[in-house]
Amino acid sequence: MTMSEVAGVLQAEVLVKGDGMLRRVGHVMASDLMSDVLLVDEEDMLLLTSLASDQVLRTAQIVGAVGVVVVNGKPLPSSMVNVANDLHMTLATSRLSKYDACVAVHKALHSL
Amino acid sequence: MSAPGSQSSVVPDERPALGETGNDPLVLLELIQRLKVRDVMTSDLVTLPRAASMQQAQELMRQKKISGVPVEENGRFFGLVSIDDIIRALVAGTIHESCGRHMTTKLVVLEDDMPLSFALRYFDRYHYGRFPVLNRDRRLVGIICQRDINRALLVELTRELHRLESDSVQQGGDGGAGSLYLLREFPICKYDFENAGKAANQIKQVLQEKKFPPKVIRRIAVAAYELEINLCVHSDGGVLSWQVSNGRAEVIARDAGPGIEDVEWACRDGTSTANEWIRSLGFGAGMGLVNVRRVSDEFEITSKKSSGTTVKSVIYIEGMPS
Amino acid sequence: MTLDALITACGWVPVLVPDPVADASGAYVSDLLSDVMAHCPDGAVLITVQNHVNTVAVCTLVGAPAIVIVHSRDIPEEMRAAALREGVALLRTPDDQFHAALKIGTALGIEKEET
Repeated sequence: MTMSEVAGVLQAEVLVKGDGMLRRVGHVMASDLMSDVLLVDEEDMLLLTSLASDQVLRTAQIVGAVGVVVVNGKPLPSSMVNVANDLHMTLATSRLSKYDACVAVHKALHSL
Repeated sequence: MSAPGSQSSVVPDERPALGETGNDPLVLLELIQRLKVRDVMTSDLVTLPRAASMQQAQELMRQKKISGVPVEENGRFFGLVSIDDIIRALVAGTIHESCGRHMTTKLVVLEDDMPLSFALRYFDRYHYGRFPVLNRDRRLVGIICQRDINRALLVELTRELHRLESDSVQQGGDGGAGSLYLLREFPICKYDFENAGKAANQIKQVLQEKKFPPKVIRRIAVAAYELEINLCVHSDGGVLSWQVSNGRAEVIARDAGPGIEDVEWACRDGTSTANEWIRSLGFGAGMGLVNVRRVSDEFEITSKKSSGTTVKSVIYIEGMPS
Repeated sequence: MTLDALITACGWVPVLVPDPVADASGAYVSDLLSDVMAHCPDGAVLITVQNHVNTVAVCTLVGAPAIVIVHSRDIPEEMRAAALREGVALLRTPDDQFHAALKIGTALGIEKEET
């Protein structure tokens, strides 16, 4: 399943279409601690987070994440959109809670 | 080169000036010999004639935010009114008298085609804040102060770094780890969250452009990011630098404070001195140094309380691009 | 679903369960305590990596009956004492937040199907 398809499953609004839109989502991380995100070794990771900060995007770039979805329908600062554009990182927001988003993505990834 | 008359009583300094210790980088040495005083001085001068009052000089200094006003008429140089002169005049009640009467005439001046290394030596020896600059015809053409030198050196050094970077990257033609050389430095400011991580992102972009092996890119990027965030969150500010040469990538974080009390503790999993605010921004879980060590082939950390910390991560590169 | 049943279904190590029959009606995943305070539904189990005493305080505020600490993070004594005092259950799992959420989702989902 691609990042683009996952965004659909999460009813997410894609604010920035990065290089990873058509990349396959293999792993999902549901974390708000950037230090934990940096420990991940996988290169096909989707990041679900409650944290709406530029560093989320910067961390995502460092670990080669496929994209970032900010949950809880949190409004994002415009700086995040700028950073996502600079880094060509897909950025989306979803009204779902992180818990509901985890369950929804899992269902979608495994119903194929 | 001195103006006519003797020097005022200042004891020449015995310490070696910049460029004279034998430990200065070659690039810097070459620069301070290549650059001339006229390349660095301020030539947009504010001056007064001898008949102007000391009060006018004081007013001018305040308005233009300068610390000295040269006294000249039609390019003929007579002396300098400094802040010290103003203070003396205020105390003595002579602030309304002429500059010609109260200016400093026992001056050291520089010539505009002297190399910058001369000027540096003079700054070091004579402790003046500024030097007037004369041309071959003994006409006043500028004034040079420490700030001018710092600014010029910074600009030139940055230019030099960019040149080195692009030059050496093109050298990589014969393949093999030894021929590739990259170097960048990034200043990192304390609590500058707007830019935190930017340097690491840029480093990763360069690594991707140069087609380094993906796993190596990941490790270097993680080390750089963790070290950059550390500098931002835990130090009083510092420099993140990275270089690649001879099959090794080195990422180095240097700061001037506050120093780590217990290095062993700091390198342990889950220990952190971060406060709640920092945590709310997603940092400060205490994994930074542990993670840097995890991705490094060599890891070194030295720290002295109140004198700063240096952390170095080395990552070996195999399968370098040719 | 009772906490007891949930713990069994998910296969987690209970560190402290003051009230095994407390009701867990959902779950919330977050490492930002401000976010937990703002959005965690009453009766939801909190899944987080934040292993410190403040997490317990926040759970008491929002009515979360249990905290699931992920990545097998250690639970400090202060946190344990606070949890006991406040009647908040503490659980620990080697899973990450995503997998912990899936386990709860499955357990609660199955229960929904059965009722």
